[in-house]
Amino acid sequence: MAERTKSDRAATSAALLPIALWGLLAAVAALLFAWRVGMQWPAPLPGGIGLDRVILLYSTLPRGAVAVLAGAVLGMSGLLLQHVLRNPLAEPSTLGISAGAQLAMTIVSLYAPLLMERSQSLVAFAGGIAAVLLVLALTWRRGLEPVSVVLAGMMVALTASSVSAALILANGEYLFSLFIWGGGSLVQQDWEPTIALTIRLAAGAVAALMLLRPLTILGLDDASARGLGVARHSSRFLIIALAVWMATSVAAEVGVIGFVGLAAPALATLSGARTLRQKLIAAPLIGAVLLWLTDGLVQLAAGSGGERIPTGAGTALLGGPLLLWLLPRLRLLEWPHLGSKGAAPRKASRPWLIILLLFALALVAAIVALVVGRGPDGWSIAGGDLLTDLAAWRAPRISVAAAAGAMLAAAGVVIQRVTGNPLASPELLGVGTGAGAGLTAVLMVSATASPGWQLAGSALGSLAALIAMLALAARAKFGAERLLLAGIAMSALCSAAITATIAMGNAQSYILLRWLSGSTGQATALDAKLALACLLPLTLPLFLAARWLDILPLGSDSARGLGVPVAGGRLMLIIVAALLTALAAMVVGPLSFVGLIAPHLAQLVGFSRARVHLAGAMVLGALLMIVSDWLSRMAAFPYELPAGLFASLLGGPYLVYLLAKGVPRQG
Amino acid sequence: MIHPPNRRQVLALAAAALLPPVAARAATPRVAAIDWGMLETLLALGIEPVAATELIQFRKIAVEPRVPQSVTDLGLRGAPNYELLRIVAPDVIVISNFYEYQRPMLERIAPVFAQAVYEAGVPPYMLAEAATLALGEKLGRQAEAKRYADETADEIARLRATLPRASGHPVFVISLGDSRHFRAFGRDSMFGDVLTRLGLVNAWTDETSYSAAAPVGLEALARVPEASILIVSPLPADVGRSLPTNALWNALPAVRQNRVAVLEPVNHFGCLPSARRFARLATAALARQAHG
Repeated sequence: MAERTKSDRAATSAALLPIALWGLLAAVAALLFAWRVGMQWPAPLPGGIGLDRVILLYSTLPRGAVAVLAGAVLGMSGLLLQHVLRNPLAEPSTLGISAGAQLAMTIVSLYAPLLMERSQSLVAFAGGIAAVLLVLALTWRRGLEPVSVVLAGMMVALTASSVSAALILANGEYLFSLFIWGGGSLVQQDWEPTIALTIRLAAGAVAALMLLRPLTILGLDDASARGLGVARHSSRFLIIALAVWMATSVAAEVGVIGFVGLAAPALATLSGARTLRQKLIAAPLIGAVLLWLTDGLVQLAAGSGGERIPTGAGTALLGGPLLLWLLPRLRLLEWPHLGSKGAAPRKASRPWLIILLLFALALVAAIVALVVGRGPDGWSIAGGDLLTDLAAWRAPRISVAAAAGAMLAAAGVVIQRVTGNPLASPELLGVGTGAGAGLTAVLMVSATASPGWQLAGSALGSLAALIAMLALAARAKFGAERLLLAGIAMSALCSAAITATIAMGNAQSYILLRWLSGSTGQATALDAKLALACLLPLTLPLFLAARWLDILPLGSDSARGLGVPVAGGRLMLIIVAALLTALAAMVVGPLSFVGLIAPHLAQLVGFSRARVHLAGAMVLGALLMIVSDWLSRMAAFPYELPAGLFASLLGGPYLVYLLAKGVPRQG
Repeated sequence: MIHPPNRRQVLALAAAALLPPVAARAATPRVAAIDWGMLETLLALGIEPVAATELIQFRKIAVEPRVPQSVTDLGLRGAPNYELLRIVAPDVIVISNFYEYQRPMLERIAPVFAQAVYEAGVPPYMLAEAATLALGEKLGRQAEAKRYADETADEIARLRATLPRASGHPVFVISLGDSRHFRAFGRDSMFGDVLTRLGLVNAWTDETSYSAAAPVGLEALARVPEASILIVSPLPADVGRSLPTNALWNALPAVRQNRVAVLEPVNHFGCLPSARRFARLATAALARQAHG
């Protein structure tokens, strides 16, 4: 009896505790806001011009209102996306919606500025919905499995950001507005955004209430939903479009605000919201408190010279660790694991001969890249003295590009085999963006830091990211999903730091933009030697561990049965892959798609056993990067474009085709 | 400057077949400029560089001095085309401290001559003047450099004299980031320094670093209600639509009393030619306000 009372009391206090906690946080946010209002309260001067009053009315008050409203809209949008996709990680930034909106706005500002003046939110919506449709198309064959959806979303987001960065680089000052926007600022000067967001929130709430029944059913699996007579696809798309509309309205009004859409529904669940109806109330409220509080803190940290951190980057800086903390608590494994799907991969009868041929092809490409180029007078084939001289410039770039391509491809093979997920990519390990965060830190200390310091900063940054990620993954015994998610969270966190610095729009921004878009332009002979010297010792252990790579995709149980040390083996392979990725990221930037695509290309050629798969992917990765680097030098001569961008443009369409066809699991 | 014939020059001759003919002037070294401030200084001293960076943008947003079509465009400032620079084979490459990280690459092509004009917390005018004189010395144009520095100082003094009533008047010089944010030019920017030299007061007194502060909300412009506002072009795309409807912007005393002007574009990180251009544009705008 006493036992029962105790447990009842425990249950009651467990329900009250979250409410008290959120109440407390809301009170803190309100206090911060009241402090701002107090600071701005108009002095009762009779001869005053009333400017204080204007600022209070048109800046301080609407900013508070927009923080609450945008937080609520994002919370609701995130909840709808997560519910419909049955994916606890879905939200505007993980699905590529924000990056898609940003890319659309960049392109329109450049090529149709009038359209941008007329309807910014429509442009943002078009970009956002296009990104979501692409992500859904990419993962359709995999049944919209959560981890794959988020992986595809992050790839779409990274590519869109890199294209935006390249466009901004090539067009200078004009587009800095888009980076302020990318940082997410809640600064207000009238009530228009408040009104716009109120309408969105109201419309969203009404629609969600009307769709409560189909929504509830869509949360069930497909078979049950069909049985209950809900038109699954049409209502699902309707709700996704609604959520994207809400999210891109926030993006158009105040910029990119990350993580609120992710954290609010998750925290609502953790706080004890059980039914959909409860969640629909709790998630927007929690989102509102989160954003209001973050914005208050950002303003508290601001000096009179301006805010040091844009609010959107602030939410990501707070939200990244939150996501890492949430990971072990999310119920991800409800999703049925997909078995081998699609036809068994074709096997080449003489793989090593093909690899030799591909290697010869890569050599030919390297020679062409070395000899053929554009000069002030058009195309030319260099020879003799001119060649010796130009080779001193071209050879390091070609070697660095080739080495980076091979490294990323090797890392890609490892990551895809270890996680058993064909959409996994070394770019998502977090070590690449970690290098960027380290570079940012060095540039913060000195805008004119030497290349040596920049390289050291990148190295330390990726090392720190790697250690943090391994520590997190260790708690989950290096389980595939947790590892990928920890990498995604780490990437998002580091990206936030980079975005915040770029949004400052100073000399450092340009260095980071160039790094972000992946340039081989500064490659020196030293870089080339370093990259080539590291390639062999780092990839050799992978060839020796080929048996593990063959067996691990079969799943933990089978692997253990075959005598593979699962946790230890995964750890070792991941460390090697991370080192390879970090090295490649330091010399060619965080994104190239090569790590994702080269392993698939190799499989398509028919390299199925781990050893040939690894060798084939490395040769193909090197080839892809050599061609990309050459194109980046030639396309807009004399303006050099980022090589990483060309790699994504070459590989991206192929990847879409591949995924639309349905990719078999590795192994 | 006479060099013994070396492999580079032999190569330059070989490459000359590919190049449009460059009028070689005796005793004037062939110069390439990576930094825009150095480019405008070279042109002001009557030296036509053989190559410079981002000329498409330069002609649009720095405007003055005019860059002859014969100057080879090297591509982006941050990532110049080294191969092309190698083919152009200048005798000397001028950069600023911003591009020190390119030095190892550039030194493989030609000796690098670097000048620091922008340093955090230091008003840049005197540094720019020193850089002009140093460049003149380096390239055998001492007389021209001295004359240009004096002319610039004279012109600014003359312009200052045309603004008697404006003396001591506070002015914000900003560039608009988007329709809600601006970046202010503080005391360590060329615009801020020239304002002071025109006898005006820079209304932005907070710390800035390297020319412009991080984006700030427009409400910060209300801190000095009596100030005029000079907006340096270019303006972002959506400003034309959204600024006129921005309630706070419209409530600013400067806006209500018509003390806002949009200036034509000027190089943000310029040297003396930019200082002159800004002084001229700012004086004209302020004079219009005084009369209007």
